[in-house]
Amino acid sequence: MAVSGERARIVVEAERRVGSLHLQVDFRPTGRVAAVVGPSGAGKSTLLRILAGLDRASTGRVEVDAEVWLDTSTGVWRPPWERGVGWVPQDALLFPHLGVRENLAYGGASPAQVDEAAEPFEVAHLLERRPRNLSGGERQRVALVRALLATPRLLLLDEPFSALDPELRASLARRLAGWAEARSLPVVLVSHDATDAELLGAERWQLRGGRLDPL
Amino acid sequence: MAEGLDERWRATGAAPLRVSLDATSRLVGQLSRGAPFDLIVTADEEWMEEARTTGRVGPTRAVASNRLVLVAGARSPVARGEAVLETEIAALLRSGTAPLALAGEEVPAGRYAREALAWLGVDPSALARPVATGGSVRTALEWVARGEAEYGIVYASDAAADSAVRTVYRFPSEAHTPIRYWAASVEGRGDALLDWLGGAEAAGVLRAGGFGAPGEPPIARAEGAAGAPATADRAPVEVGGPSPGSVPRAPRSRGPSLPSALLLSIGVALAAVLLGTVPAVAVGRMLSQRAFPGRTAVSALLLAPLVVPPVVTGFLLLALLGADTPIGGALAALGLPVPFTPLAAVLAAAAVGLPLYAVVVRSAFESVDSRYEELSWTLGVPPRSTFRRIALPLALPGIAAGAVLAFARALGEFGATIVLAGNVEGETRTLALAVYTLLETPGAGGRIWFFVAASVVLSLGALLLYERLLTRQRARMEDGRVG
Repeated sequence: MAVSGERARIVVEAERRVGSLHLQVDFRPTGRVAAVVGPSGAGKSTLLRILAGLDRASTGRVEVDAEVWLDTSTGVWRPPWERGVGWVPQDALLFPHLGVRENLAYGGASPAQVDEAAEPFEVAHLLERRPRNLSGGERQRVALVRALLATPRLLLLDEPFSALDPELRASLARRLAGWAEARSLPVVLVSHDATDAELLGAERWQLRGGRLDPL
Repeated sequence: MAEGLDERWRATGAAPLRVSLDATSRLVGQLSRGAPFDLIVTADEEWMEEARTTGRVGPTRAVASNRLVLVAGARSPVARGEAVLETEIAALLRSGTAPLALAGEEVPAGRYAREALAWLGVDPSALARPVATGGSVRTALEWVARGEAEYGIVYASDAAADSAVRTVYRFPSEAHTPIRYWAASVEGRGDALLDWLGGAEAAGVLRAGGFGAPGEPPIARAEGAAGAPATADRAPVEVGGPSPGSVPRAPRSRGPSLPSALLLSIGVALAAVLLGTVPAVAVGRMLSQRAFPGRTAVSALLLAPLVVPPVVTGFLLLALLGADTPIGGALAALGLPVPFTPLAAVLAAAAVGLPLYAVVVRSAFESVDSRYEELSWTLGVPPRSTFRRIALPLALPGIAAGAVLAFARALGEFGATIVLAGNVEGETRTLALAVYTLLETPGAGGRIWFFVAASVVLSLGALLLYERLLTRQRARMEDGRVG
């Protein structure tokens, strides 16, 4: 997992207050896949939002593959639409006014690319459906494929399998791990339990009381 | 009456008459703000003087006269077809069991009626039953017609037009200040009509309508008449003189037409909604976003037309777009004069409907989870395209709901419209104005219900649609999420 000696591909040094929570993190996973676990309300989702550029750290630095996305000391800030992050929120957030196929192609994927990616993640049979006619697990799968099809440079997963039954969860996690590995895609996973981290073979960090520590 | 005049006038090969009927004070106000009148007719000396100060009005000429009559309603013991002797009136009024209806003292008809009572030797405050005073002479007539008053003192012309009342006594001309109607051409455009109105053909129509000839010599005030009040300030003047005497009255217009008012209302409301859509979406969206400097001020300013009286809104629009203002002047030069045109009705309706529109749009945008847009950004779509592809379609049912509500509000618009657009049949007389006009028209009691029904049905229909759209907006937000 962790390949020591290699330069960290993701660096997040950030400070931010969210309500009563004072988040202060120094996150430099050495592995390609990192999982952040911790109780709900610990600031896991905020960490992902800082990486995606949706929340700003009051002070700090975000760097991915040696590219600076945020540096409050020099005023560098790259907006979310130029970062190329695949963000899969916990509640999927499929665009309700678009069909499944339109959701998948939203980031610019061609119909052929949509068909190709739909197969391994078991959404091919859902392409002509509307989001409101999908189950929770189906919606999560579509949201995942939508993020992958935007050819991200970083994949951010927020409890992505919470609505899936254990069997499907395992098979899907395996396929996702394979997909990411084939593309050398860095992944940050956030989860309140450790199962997803194990399934993806992730390096584990724990977020508690605003502090992030490797496990 | 106006129909009769119109018919004869058109028979001369002229264009049809279009009549804007309102209190003289308002007509003169509209004239001074650039209303495109050709001819102004009034019975009020002071207001005609005022009209002449605009410099747009030519010499004044008397076109008709009028007189007061005592009318009786169904409750009166005076039998149909019977006339009352002058000497019996006082006793009759004293024995009455229901009020005597007079116009208010603030309008000329009310003052003349009091003069006439004094001439009879009747002190209104000594009557056993109260004197009911409505604002306008038409209100007094309406009370008698509905049986709420036993007798009323009204104009002969009004009595002649209303079959629900009977004239039981005609006051002699010396009983009150002479009532004459004066007309003047505006910027020379009404010269031909003015000449014609003074001619024999028009006189016949006027006579049939209960009006007297214009040339009846002014009656010297009956000096010996019991207690006739001195009205030195209203002394009769020479016919055709520059500052004639009189009462605010205009010839009655053609009655409002339901199809015309309905179509106009719908057209005006639709146009107002179209005009308001871009501003409503822009402002509603802006207010749904996070705080920005001046947000509170923008919000308050936006809501202002909701609480400011619509007539004030109308006045402000007029101050902004009137013919003598820079903007109004520029628009007029472009061939788009605003005041007293259908465009004015649209603008008034749009101004009053915009706050509701924007408020509903704002809550529609607020109901769209902002993370949908964020998600779109992460997929590489910048904010402007994201707004078009995500926020706008997701808020669409709510925006449509706002449009429908603004449409309903525009249908009900009255105050700002009558100030900015006047009340011109076929051009600015919407349903609301038509109902208002009918309220002031003697004998329109039954017809008014058709207009009222159309208004209520249309408005309730719009509200039902509004509710449906709101429900859809709420449902839409639950469609793509987990949990």
